[in-house]
Amino acid sequence: MVPRKAKIAAAVLVVLVVMAASSFFVVSETQQVVITQLGRPVGQPITEAGLHCKVPFIQTANFFEKRIMKWDGRPDQFPTRDKKYIWVDTTARWRIKDSLLFLTRVGTLPKANSLLDGIIDSVVRDHVSDNDLVELVRSEGWEEAKQKLSEAGIPESQMLTSGFETPEQSDHLVKGREKITREMVADASRLIPEFGMELLDIRIKRINYIESVQQSVFNRMISERKRIAAQYRSEGEGERAAILGQMDRELAKLTSEAYKKSQEIRGKADAEATRIYAEAFGKDPEFFSLYKTLELYRNFSNNSSFVLSTDADVFKYLKGSGTVPRK
Amino acid sequence: MAWERPPVRRAPEKGGPPQDLEEVLRWISERFRSSPSSSFRLIIIIAVLVLVIVVGFSSYYTVEPEETAVLQRFGKYIGTAGAGPHLKIPFGVDSVTKVITGRVLQREYGYHTVEPGVRSQFVEKGYEAESIMLSGDLNVVNVQWTVQYMIKDPVAYLFKLSGVELTLDDISESVMRRIVGNRYSDEVITVGRASIADQCRAEIQQIMDLYETGLQVVAVKLQNANVPNPVIPAFNEVNEAGQEKERMINDAQQAYNDKIPKAVGQARQTVSQAEGYGLERVNKSEGEAKRFLDILAEYQKAPDVTRRRMYLDSFEAMMGRIDHLYVVDEAQKNILPLLDLNKFKGQSEKAQSSQAQPKGQ
Repeated sequence: MVPRKAKIAAAVLVVLVVMAASSFFVVSETQQVVITQLGRPVGQPITEAGLHCKVPFIQTANFFEKRIMKWDGRPDQFPTRDKKYIWVDTTARWRIKDSLLFLTRVGTLPKANSLLDGIIDSVVRDHVSDNDLVELVRSEGWEEAKQKLSEAGIPESQMLTSGFETPEQSDHLVKGREKITREMVADASRLIPEFGMELLDIRIKRINYIESVQQSVFNRMISERKRIAAQYRSEGEGERAAILGQMDRELAKLTSEAYKKSQEIRGKADAEATRIYAEAFGKDPEFFSLYKTLELYRNFSNNSSFVLSTDADVFKYLKGSGTVPRK
Repeated sequence: MAWERPPVRRAPEKGGPPQDLEEVLRWISERFRSSPSSSFRLIIIIAVLVLVIVVGFSSYYTVEPEETAVLQRFGKYIGTAGAGPHLKIPFGVDSVTKVITGRVLQREYGYHTVEPGVRSQFVEKGYEAESIMLSGDLNVVNVQWTVQYMIKDPVAYLFKLSGVELTLDDISESVMRRIVGNRYSDEVITVGRASIADQCRAEIQQIMDLYETGLQVVAVKLQNANVPNPVIPAFNEVNEAGQEKERMINDAQQAYNDKIPKAVGQARQTVSQAEGYGLERVNKSEGEAKRFLDILAEYQKAPDVTRRRMYLDSFEAMMGRIDHLYVVDEAQKNILPLLDLNKFKGQSEKAQSSQAQPKGQ
């Protein structure tokens, strides 16, 4: 059987192991520790990583996060100063600066987060409702935006109209997002150090119109595009009409000019002919009259009937050949 | 081919080697019961064996080529190790955390790759909250982007900030909205992409360095920068209208080109015809004048006889062409009523005359 000595040795060993487990503890690089003795903090917080020791059983090691942590705000709906309803989603970074203070005033991370919820949410709400929407959207360097836009070289007609209600808003920038968030941090930081925490930043992660406003913005953009499309179509029709009009004008010009010229040519020719005729026929108008009349007779058409008097010159011999003409 | 029956498994013989788990356990317990001192020895042997295996495995680790191992002794950082097999102190004294440092990692915003490949599949639905943002002129734009990054400093990555990737997400969204909020929507959706991506990369890197996250932002890529989806059809309509405008102008130009050259030709035709007419007219008149003058010259030599000859010639010509000739003496006053004029009229006029008949009869 197991010897008595061995049993005692085993018991001592167990006690030693338990003692060691209770008096040594490992602190990781990501942790910091506050030692408490029967609930009361003892000494300075341990921030150095490595193996540390404490009095077993009566002292407790309280581990806290040493790294920077992220706080995520609940997206919420606020009105801005210019009465625009927006969704704001904020995020912040913080860390436990004084773990002793943190232990006594806060204790755990969930409590810290709910504490931050209370402080940051109200600060964000205050600053959002204290500023115009443009101030929250834009930040330092907005002055260059117009320059960049003009460099883009987009035709004026194609551009989206802005959502500004007044024209002076377009260039106006009092604070800008960065300054506002810095003010938020400053305001929140007045309360937070009391809890052994340090707030590093607050950032506006998302900022959007609420659904109904967004829909009306979309509708505005759609109607605006439709206006531009209608303008294009109308321009197309106008251009077409202009070209067709020009065409009609040129057609009229061409035909009328040709007509005019042809009439001139014909007139000139007619005049020339008239002159030639007159010159020739004028030499003996009496003969011309005979000549032309006889030509006319020759050209009498077929199938016609004539009733002529015997007085006609041609029939004067019908009544007798020897008579002297009366004329 | 003949089927061979599988051999029937026979029941295990007593005392033979154990065949299933139940029997193994029974066999072991039997052996233990038989001699307590030998069983104690066996326990020691097994314990030592297990210990050796555990120590062996926990004092040895391998690092893959794309990884860097961060070593901590009692929680304190003592160094890093590159690819290959390494030794460490077991029993939780040394702990090893492997960080992927050799790969470019990627976070997507506003969309999500479902199936990467040559033609990757994306979903956008459900990610609108990430991609919808306000531009400086208070329009709404839809921007989808990716951030490619590497873990440059695994020590900082592990020890300085908790939830580095989630922080990167926050910063990425915040920075993108700041940049888009500082530009006009028209620029964002057209030429702004490249400069937005550059600026975004620089700013994210700056903030990541500030918090010592150990990340290196390799690139920010704008996948899409457009107006929101419900507005896209209206935007396309503008493009279509532009095309339509061009088409209308082309159509009109076509009609113009179709008609004008033809009309130019026709005008020339008209003028040429007139010129032809003029030439004809003048030539004709000159010819006729010449003829007349020639005849006149001859006429003047013997006017009387020529006159008569011409008269009779033409009368003769006329006589040859007409159907009826009535020669009426002056004394015969009543000849006209006796003439049946209808007889001479053409057949075509018959209808007309028959119409007039009821009156006459």
